[in-house]
Amino acid sequence: MSAERLPEGAAGSAPDDVSDSAPGSAPDRAADATPGRVSYRASGAASGGTQGSAPGAETGGPDSVHGRAQHPADITPPDSTAVRVGAFSWLFPYRSALAAVGLTLVIAAVVSLATFASSTGMSFSDSLSGLLGTGDSATVMLVQDFRLPRIAVGLMVGAALGIAGCLTQTLAGNRLATPDIIGVNEGATAAVVASVVGSSTGMIGDWWLGPLGAAAAAMVVVACAGGAGSGGYRILVVGIGVSTVIGAVTDLVMSRENDNTAGGVFLWTVGSLSGRDWSVGTPLSLVLLVLVPLSLVAGSRLQLLRFDDDMAATLGVNVRRVRAVTLALAVALSGVAVGIGGPIAFVALAAPVVASRLSGPTRVPVIGSALVGAALVGAADALGRVVAPVEIPVGVITSVLGGPFLLWVLFGKNSEQTGKA
Amino acid sequence: MHRPTLWAAAALVVLLLLLGLLSLLVGSGSTPMGRAWDFLTGDPSARADAQIRLAVMDVRLPRTLAGALVGVALGAAGCLLQAVTRNPLAETGLLGVNSGAALGVVIGLTYFEVTSAYGVLVWALVGGMAASAVVLLLAASGRAAGSPLRLVLAGSALGATFHGMTSYVLLGEQATFDTYRYWTIGSLAGIKTSETYPLIPLIAVGLLIAFCCVRPLSALALGDDSARSLGHHPGRIRLIVAAAVTLLAGSAVALAGPIAFLGLLAPYAARAVTGPRMAGQLVLSALVAANVMIAADLLARVVIRPWETPVSVLLAFIGGPLLIWIARSQRMSTAGVGA
Repeated sequence: MSAERLPEGAAGSAPDDVSDSAPGSAPDRAADATPGRVSYRASGAASGGTQGSAPGAETGGPDSVHGRAQHPADITPPDSTAVRVGAFSWLFPYRSALAAVGLTLVIAAVVSLATFASSTGMSFSDSLSGLLGTGDSATVMLVQDFRLPRIAVGLMVGAALGIAGCLTQTLAGNRLATPDIIGVNEGATAAVVASVVGSSTGMIGDWWLGPLGAAAAAMVVVACAGGAGSGGYRILVVGIGVSTVIGAVTDLVMSRENDNTAGGVFLWTVGSLSGRDWSVGTPLSLVLLVLVPLSLVAGSRLQLLRFDDDMAATLGVNVRRVRAVTLALAVALSGVAVGIGGPIAFVALAAPVVASRLSGPTRVPVIGSALVGAALVGAADALGRVVAPVEIPVGVITSVLGGPFLLWVLFGKNSEQTGKA
Repeated sequence: MHRPTLWAAAALVVLLLLLGLLSLLVGSGSTPMGRAWDFLTGDPSARADAQIRLAVMDVRLPRTLAGALVGVALGAAGCLLQAVTRNPLAETGLLGVNSGAALGVVIGLTYFEVTSAYGVLVWALVGGMAASAVVLLLAASGRAAGSPLRLVLAGSALGATFHGMTSYVLLGEQATFDTYRYWTIGSLAGIKTSETYPLIPLIAVGLLIAFCCVRPLSALALGDDSARSLGHHPGRIRLIVAAAVTLLAGSAVALAGPIAFLGLLAPYAARAVTGPRMAGQLVLSALVAANVMIAADLLARVVIRPWETPVSVLLAFIGGPLLIWIARSQRMSTAGVGA
């Protein structure tokens, strides 16, 4: 179990579901686990491998890390700059800031392409001017009233999934610990599917059933696991157990429904943004407005939980409360996302992994995960509208492309670190 | 052999025989238990009754046999997979077998107009094997080849991809979807002898490989370096074991659809008795899983009479709480993680 206490953090470290991770390096890293030095070592080891792959990569390679480490007074992590004004100082994380700027540009590109992707017989410049509000009024109306809402909902759903994944992965110290595995997706799916039973219309219920089901499932999981703080491992196993039971119920309901209903529900259980507009976008944006700032706070607290519990407590963290709040945030975020977009696969798993590659291993990449998640869902939804004559739901795109992509991320550059563990 | 293991094995065999007998006696439909008993004990009037012969010999016997086979295969496969990945969470679904089989079934139904149950079985087997072959090739290539984490990650990542492809095919095909959603809940109802027998050699070969791997696997449990110094080749062992897992799990999925939990739980129960002894674990896992499978199938026939519950749903209801209980027990946090 010592692996999950390694100060490398969730995304940078090996998942602890394999017990023999890094036997050689664990003790000596843990031995001198002071905040400053730990971040040197972790980031120094990882930056050597990620340098080439990260756009806007850091300037400080392994050499400069060790060079600086010899001056004990200067404990600035290699991916940040200390800004000092008189008695005050602030660490400016320029690497993750650069990554955020880059990702924002990517999202802007995704939005403009997604606007174009849904158009038939409209040129790219027309759709772009419609997006910016400079075209003729018909184009503007078409783009902004009909296409933009779905794109915006997609981006928000992706951001929520990304943050939720980032929080749970960091919390459990395990990259495989996404909301999907702790029963959230299954709970939301079951709630929505169950709402169909007995309804004569066969229509899918309201979006808020998703978060409700997600919260119920997560509460069962946490209660059965004996709290969120009992190590990352137990909650995963319990989550698998509860998910499977709920999944069995869903399957059973699906097999008992008539064909039309089952077909309609199936589209939702795959993950689709078809027909989502401001009627769900507005509540979603309000929810995110509350949850995202809270997640940022939780992320900064979680950073301290990467040390062991005693160390975190010494640094002034209420460990139990941070864990509980973080989990609740993750459940709420992914519950809302699943309620609106269906269980879109892989985003919660992939976004934090990519984000931490971009922003460096020393921090919990909450904003980065949100941006990567938004870009992923936005791009996948746009792709689904153009690659085939019939629209392919976003969930199909993410799961088909997500697998190879994840393999590439995990086994590509840093396979000595991620693969061997 | 370890004494408690022997006792447990003997008890499980007796239990399996009893459950098998019960499975021949009990069933949905109108055949009374007493008549079925008469038939089995050779009562001439019962033997002459065609309806009873049909119920016992053509419906219940193949079903019981298939249940035992599926159980043995899944139990052994789960045990092997957990040993080879050194991950007590490892399950056959993780190697991509289940999702590959599902994709195979869906492709067969949609593009090759398969209609018979036997055709579905063949496509499931082909799909499962192809999927895990891809996973194995991927996990075995490049640096850090054959590492436990790599295998699990490759399996789950590609499994999701196969799942996505399955969804894609299903979205356009209402008819396929209807067949698929009955297949995917996993059931032993309506299995015929003609579907069971062809899989027996496959499962037998899988079990044979499994038992040949006991010694190398025990060495592997000590870590790759120790195994190497004992003269074993960790990468090669993993590949061979994964092939055995594919044979076993693929056959099981082909017979009964994707059945969750059995491959996860049976090795747990076995480890509780045997400790780290690999041979005992393998035997007990297979026996436990066979017992659970037949018991669950028995329950499936009676709980909502006259209808049947899919056995996989029942297993989920039994297995879920059991898994949670195991996760909460002390063993999980101490021995289980390192196992």
